[in-house]
Amino acid sequence: MATAVELTGLTFSWPGSSPTLDINHWQVAQGESVLLRGASGSGKSTLLSLLAGINTPQKGVIKLFETDLSQLSARQRDKFRADHIGYIFQQFNLLPYLTAVENVLLGVKFSKHRQRKLSQSATNTATDYLLRLGLTAAQQQQPAAQLSVGQQQRVAAARALIGGPELLIADEPTSALDADRRDNFIKLLLELSAANNTTVLFVTHDVALAPYFNTHVELTEISRAMPDAELNNA
Amino acid sequence: MLKLALKSLNNRRVSVLLTVIAIAVSVALLLAVERVKQQVQQNFANTVSGTDLIIGPRSSQTQLLLASVFHIGSMTNTMSWDSYEQISSRSEIDWSVPISLGDSVQGLPVVATNEQYFQHYRYADKQSLELTHGNWFDASKQAVLGAEASEQLGLAIGDQLTIAHGSGGLSFSEHEQHPINVVGVLARTGTPVDQAVFVDLTTIDQVHGLTEDDSHGHDHAHNHPTESISAALLGLKVKPLALRLQREINTYEQEPLTALMPGLTLQQLWKTLNIFEQALNGISVLVVLIGLIGMLTILLASLRERRREMAVLRAVGAGPGTIFGLLVTEALVVTIVATSTGLTLLYGLQWALMDVIHSRSGILFSLYPPTVAEWWRMGLVVCAGFLLSLVPAWRAYRQSLSDGLTVKV
Repeated sequence: MATAVELTGLTFSWPGSSPTLDINHWQVAQGESVLLRGASGSGKSTLLSLLAGINTPQKGVIKLFETDLSQLSARQRDKFRADHIGYIFQQFNLLPYLTAVENVLLGVKFSKHRQRKLSQSATNTATDYLLRLGLTAAQQQQPAAQLSVGQQQRVAAARALIGGPELLIADEPTSALDADRRDNFIKLLLELSAANNTTVLFVTHDVALAPYFNTHVELTEISRAMPDAELNNA
Repeated sequence: MLKLALKSLNNRRVSVLLTVIAIAVSVALLLAVERVKQQVQQNFANTVSGTDLIIGPRSSQTQLLLASVFHIGSMTNTMSWDSYEQISSRSEIDWSVPISLGDSVQGLPVVATNEQYFQHYRYADKQSLELTHGNWFDASKQAVLGAEASEQLGLAIGDQLTIAHGSGGLSFSEHEQHPINVVGVLARTGTPVDQAVFVDLTTIDQVHGLTEDDSHGHDHAHNHPTESISAALLGLKVKPLALRLQREINTYEQEPLTALMPGLTLQQLWKTLNIFEQALNGISVLVVLIGLIGMLTILLASLRERRREMAVLRAVGAGPGTIFGLLVTEALVVTIVATSTGLTLLYGLQWALMDVIHSRSGILFSLYPPTVAEWWRMGLVVCAGFLLSLVPAWRAYRQSLSDGLTVKV
């Protein structure tokens, strides 16, 4: 099976501190759903910003779908992210002044590549996704600021998945949800991802979610670094 | 991008609206200074458009010009009728109009002159005066009213008026025993002519009690209608002679006189007033700057709250350049909307105040499309808005680079 993510000999440190990440080798196969667990401050967010192409490692290679991110310029990495990666934050995912549908459409706004992959018009796809995620037509037209946290996260999921990106990165998207909604959210997220053959990298500190995923990885298993932050946050 | 900027601005519409208003008012002020200057200069130039030389008693050129044609200020001296006759009979002179000033009707200036005024006075594009009602006076104790004077005094043909000595609104020496008949009303000219009351030269002397006897009038060619006048307007047969004639009159031996070329004297007047214009311009530029800095402030202040927004945009693939562009677009939208609002405001004010200004000052503020100078000013405002927007845009750029996707709110 082709690899979606492959990290080799990677080290990263923020200016003036000891390495936050030190990953010898780690890979994720295409279409897999991975739960990556780590305590807060263990370098999860740093790893995600490297994968998203926001930051670049001091050493090592990050390959996403056989593309070496370190060979790309900052602008090219932005474009790569727009074309191939869907991203969900812990919370505050949406632009509060746009409606739910408009927020979903942002997902394809910066990517011709993802626009082309749509089988119908972008707006139709967006409403379709939102319906499947349980937002009524009226809710879809509401400004995002008026939606509940749970609804906002579902809108964020629709935005991350519209246009079928190859990789979905979810950074603790369920931490603000209660247990029922959390389970429901993860099921829907994985369903939609599977339909698009999207590789899922789900980051959390909550080990109870592991049964939903093919693979469960501890960040401490793949990264040797012991960041200072962990001590600070402990 | 524009759509996103508009929606984002709409989300902060109260502070944005206030900023737009502040900039709009300042732009209107900036344009008004330019426009008032243009219109006043145009108006003054229109008023003297047909006159080649103005002569009068020795005084400053500006004083003579302002008093004789614009009825601003007063003449302290007079020139003798003899000198006037000698000069006006010279061969270079095409026509001449004697003018005697110093009286008023309820604050409106009385211009004592003769029929030459009606025949030869020209305004704007060399237009001659026209009467809407009645005739030009042909005897003493008759008056012709300017359009505005007729309206303000509420007088029409057949009505009577009395002349007060001095130019103030209230005078203790009203010449009530000398009622004067209104015989004509002039068409509107948009010059100080509109405010004036015109009477024959002899009328003034009569109301002053200088020539009690009315019976031997001025119909004798050699008879003096009056002993002295305030000024005279001259038209020349050959315009280039004006300079030479001016020099000769300024060195006139019988009597100290002043001669001026109205166009040139106006130029000098504008030059002296230039400093005030510059000061007004400077102030309005500062006001615009304050408005724009207000915009800068709300953009900068919003950046902190909008870090999330920037991170979301980065997550969906927007580069820091896009964030930069978004901020610049927002500022440009605000500046352009504000500038066009300011222009609309200017036209609205001009339209609303046109009548008031005309009746108070005689200056007709005509509505015309923005001039090149005004487009320049508006263009510079937009440019300044753009340049200032680079500050928040740059900060947003740096911020989105350092924040990336991980904002701790």
